[in-house]
Amino acid sequence: MTQVVIMCGSGGVGKTTMSAALALRFAEEGRRVMVITIDPARRLADALGLAELGNTPQRVPTSRGELQAMMLDAKRTFDELITRHAPNGDVRDRILANHYYRFVSERLPGVHEYMAMERLLAIVRADDVDVVVLDTPPTRHALDFLTAPDRMAGLMDEGVMRWLVLPASASGWRMIEMGSDVLAGVLKRLLGQNTIEDIADFFAGFQSLWGGFRERSVAARALLRAANTRFILVTAPAPGARAEALAFLEVLRRDAMPFAGFLVNRCAWPPAPAPAWPAAAGGDDPASWEATTRAIEATLTRHRALVATQEAAIADLLAHAPRGANAWRIPEATGEVHDLSGLRGLGMALADSGALDVLRGPA
Amino acid sequence: MPGLSDRRVVLVTGKGGVGKTTVAVSLALAAARRGKRVLLCETQGATRVPALFGRPSKGYEPTQVATNLSTLSITPAEAIQEYVLLQLHFVRLYKMVFQNRVMGPFVDAVPGLHDLVQLGKVWFAERETENGRQRWDLVVVDAPATGHGLTMLGAPRAMMELTRAGPFYENAKQIAELVEDPVRTGLVLVTTPEEMPLRETESLHQRLGAFRRLVAGVVLNEVHPLPVPDLERWPEERLRLSRSEDPAMIPTLRVIDAELRACARQVDARVRLRALGAAYAELPFLFRRDLGRAELESFTAPLGSLT
Repeated sequence: MTQVVIMCGSGGVGKTTMSAALALRFAEEGRRVMVITIDPARRLADALGLAELGNTPQRVPTSRGELQAMMLDAKRTFDELITRHAPNGDVRDRILANHYYRFVSERLPGVHEYMAMERLLAIVRADDVDVVVLDTPPTRHALDFLTAPDRMAGLMDEGVMRWLVLPASASGWRMIEMGSDVLAGVLKRLLGQNTIEDIADFFAGFQSLWGGFRERSVAARALLRAANTRFILVTAPAPGARAEALAFLEVLRRDAMPFAGFLVNRCAWPPAPAPAWPAAAGGDDPASWEATTRAIEATLTRHRALVATQEAAIADLLAHAPRGANAWRIPEATGEVHDLSGLRGLGMALADSGALDVLRGPA
Repeated sequence: MPGLSDRRVVLVTGKGGVGKTTVAVSLALAAARRGKRVLLCETQGATRVPALFGRPSKGYEPTQVATNLSTLSITPAEAIQEYVLLQLHFVRLYKMVFQNRVMGPFVDAVPGLHDLVQLGKVWFAERETENGRQRWDLVVVDAPATGHGLTMLGAPRAMMELTRAGPFYENAKQIAELVEDPVRTGLVLVTTPEEMPLRETESLHQRLGAFRRLVAGVVLNEVHPLPVPDLERWPEERLRLSRSEDPAMIPTLRVIDAELRACARQVDARVRLRALGAAYAELPFLFRRDLGRAELESFTAPLGSLT
């Protein structure tokens, strides 16, 4: 059965790069791996072969194993689902051309997360890779990935469908009386007649696809609780991360979703004790040599203070996490990671941090 | 082009984790010190600011955290309620529509509504009066990260396009007029010297389109001091140090090398950010992860070049 690793975290913590590094490492340990990324930096995308073909998995050259990478295009995934599952071309075309659908598929908050779940489910059902690593969209809160699918599913709730759309009559596709005149009046006043018609038209068309979406959204949510699924929270070594982590952990706990640990990215290097300074050599100006050693000592002192506040933040995170939770420290990179060798370096750091042992081990 | 301090609304955006909140709070503090009555709005339910001043959050209600400075946290749900009540006038009707199990998720999913109502709250605050005069001289918004921030700025137009008529259309139009007016509204872009946030800042600047006129400042955050006094002498000095047999020399040089790399990135960042043509400021990296009020106060001076 396919193992699923879901990388969550707010924007800017390095999730995408970390997801790619983890996937490459797993592949080069000899497994078949798929990584679904979200908008990687251009050169990383090039390295993964994603520059041109976003939504289709691309084979990444690896020393061992197999790695496929894809960049999720939510709009295209949604269009493909409509195309595949629409009962006929008429329904398909009407949905794809609908004003409201175009807004929903491009801009609705949560649609990206929902489509990521659809892709994840399809990959797990196809069962031809050993591991899927899912990078989640950059949001303000890590939590958004967990709650967005429910919001989308709520939109497709049966009650909403019934309320908006009378069962399609023999003449098909006629709209569609609003369930309540008062509510309809209010909505029309707020949103305007056109919007209401667009929305009703969309739901009328979507009615025939609703069952399939519903079934898959239930299956996808079950997948998030499966024994082979692990959530990782990628986070920064700063106090601001705590509130987010707590809210995230609370939802995982409530919904019985398996937490693997915190990946604390861009940690400062471990502190160094002041070294013994070699004496100034013959040709040196002793004053400038002393200025240099003083400046280095001052830097080391500042750096120690930085590590202290970082470690306090990590300890605080762990104090609020379930017992036995892990914090894996990834030191700040020596440069921008934009190619496979950079990803391999990060893969080494992941191995050194202990994260891989936990992810490889039994649930 | 007016300076930042003459505007009524300042939106602060940047890639996640670059210090938007730090800059928003410091700008707000700087204006408050000059005697302006300032409201600082966090968005998407974030409540980080009151804690920086050692105060509990009162959420959507303004909390005074310093002289002349109040803060509140905008949640989409509360903003929708306030926004819609102004349109519907009846709480009962609001509840019928928005707290209805069937209707709730549907209305909630109206495209761009969350972004629009959050800007709507800013718009209310901007025009709010108290004892016959404006309640706030300046509204600072700790806005969502770059891409989302741009979507938010476009939300009023998106709503106008979607509705094409009606009260939502009319109101969205008023909000659009505020956020598109460079006399009243300014945009501050924040970045750190790392490649990804820099590129995101440049790309946002490109994609701003008509909103580019709003850009009133660019802030480079987390600027490191030079770890050694003389860069020209350093290669030779480093060679000497690397021959030391003290095992502590290895981690020492690693820390210094990392600091020097940070300094090199800054040189590049400065050139690229100044090329954007807006007022420019830098904030120092303070070698701690737990910034508090004292640190934020210390940032008001370096941000002076924006005001």
